[in-house]
Amino acid sequence: MAQPAVHLKDLNMVFRGAQGDTVALQDANLDIQQGEFISLIGPSGCGKTTLLRLMADLITPTGGELLIGGKSPAQARQERAYGYVFQSPALLEWRTVLNNVLLPLDVMNTPKATRQARAHEMLKLVGLEGFAGRYPWQLSGGMQQRVSIARALAFDPSLLLMDEPFGALDEITREHLNGELLRLWQETGKTVVFVTHGISEAVFLSTRVVVMTSRPGKIEGVVDIDLPYPRNVETRESPRFFELATKVRELLRQGHGFDADD
Amino acid sequence: MIKARRPVMAGSVGPMIIVAVIALALYWPLMLWVNAGAAQRSLNSGADLGCATAIACATQLRNPVLPAPAQLGSSLRTMSLPPMAPTSVPYNTLVTAGETIVGLLIASVLGIGLAVGLVGSRAFERVTLPWLIASQTVPVIALAPMLAVVLGQYGVQGWLPKALIAAYIAFFPVAVGVAAGLRSPDPMQEDLLITYRASGWQTFWKLRLPASLPFLFTSLKVAATAALIGSIVAEISTISFSGLGKMLAENSRASDTLALWVIMLYGAGLGIALVAVLGLIERLVTPWRAGQSR
Repeated sequence: MAQPAVHLKDLNMVFRGAQGDTVALQDANLDIQQGEFISLIGPSGCGKTTLLRLMADLITPTGGELLIGGKSPAQARQERAYGYVFQSPALLEWRTVLNNVLLPLDVMNTPKATRQARAHEMLKLVGLEGFAGRYPWQLSGGMQQRVSIARALAFDPSLLLMDEPFGALDEITREHLNGELLRLWQETGKTVVFVTHGISEAVFLSTRVVVMTSRPGKIEGVVDIDLPYPRNVETRESPRFFELATKVRELLRQGHGFDADD
Repeated sequence: MIKARRPVMAGSVGPMIIVAVIALALYWPLMLWVNAGAAQRSLNSGADLGCATAIACATQLRNPVLPAPAQLGSSLRTMSLPPMAPTSVPYNTLVTAGETIVGLLIASVLGIGLAVGLVGSRAFERVTLPWLIASQTVPVIALAPMLAVVLGQYGVQGWLPKALIAAYIAFFPVAVGVAAGLRSPDPMQEDLLITYRASGWQTFWKLRLPASLPFLFTSLKVAATAALIGSIVAEISTISFSGLGKMLAENSRASDTLALWVIMLYGAGLGIALVAVLGLIERLVTPWRAGQSR
């Protein structure tokens, strides 16, 4: 296999503050291969969002090595190598759904002729082609988050960084969107790094689940998810699913993940 | 799942009419009561008012404390015709409107420019902001005559000094409002543009500026009222040959309450019209907010 999509070696992130330093990430080691779906799971304050922001070059590590497709995060950002999906949809309220998906293409100055077609194609991919002319406030939370996923895919990055994208949604909507995301991942072949604190969500979606613990934030262990595809409702009800979820839960407990006061 | 659109003003017309009817019903006895004393004094002094009792005379005083609706109606008519005569109220309202609008335009350009500077540079903010606040503590009525004299030295006379004074008090709410608007995008939206490697210029045009538009219109409505006050005060406190302020000064010296009431009504109408026009422009410029429940 070629370059890993993401490579971490002894990665450290310390936030300096007035009340002393906070170790958000300690000696993290991980390799993510091209096309994998990796979930980062752990309690609040375990550094999972920090790790995602490090990959996105939104913050700079205080130590260790981090490579995105063999390049530095800064370089990867310069080359627009990844799409980022935030906790909230972060849509621009003055732009219609279609124009929100067009935003990265506008900023990146892609050829005008293909922009519209590409944006429509992405909306179709997330099942919202009928809502192109709506404004964000006219959509439900789940639909808004689908628009933001279409937006992240619009410029065809090979890596998708997702920070609890379904965290604010109800269980029913979340399970539905989990299925949609799995389908998208299989259709597009992207590498996905997905931050969550839902155990079943992580097990259902991932090829591997990375369990993290807090204070200091570090990687406690990695669980290989060998559930067969296609994954669907039966998958969630299978004994193997239950076993894997239990394994993740045990790892969280081992690291005192449940003691975190949040 | 899809929220319904709702007309912005629907449902507020009915209550407004009810309040107007109640106000009118209360006005009539109040008017009779406050005018009756003056009418009685005139009758006692033997003046020929052409009416027998104080209550009957209360609606026909030359300079009533509160005008009767019929008096107000006839004054409104005589003072409005012909509309474009230099002594008619409509003409003078237009003069004041022109000063206010020019003042508001100057205030917008100045206010938006300052806001961009305030948000763009910490140093600029530190140097400028205290002076901006200080500028607003100077009473405009004290400033106006001085400014008129200074500008007069350079041959700037007539409506322009009034527009400048209007701009002087109107730019501040615009600057503060737009600065808040330019800072209003949430951190995730800013991060989003960083992940796109957007330039500062792109972040400004595609994120900050559109985000500030609702704030701009809110502050423009405040600024419009301030600018109207500014131009009327400027007309009163400097040498003026036209405008609502000039008419107010004249008629207040003559104690012509009926005229003052008419001028006041025109002034109120002008203020409402300015805010309404801004509201209309707002709906055209920020169409995404139409029907949005806020």
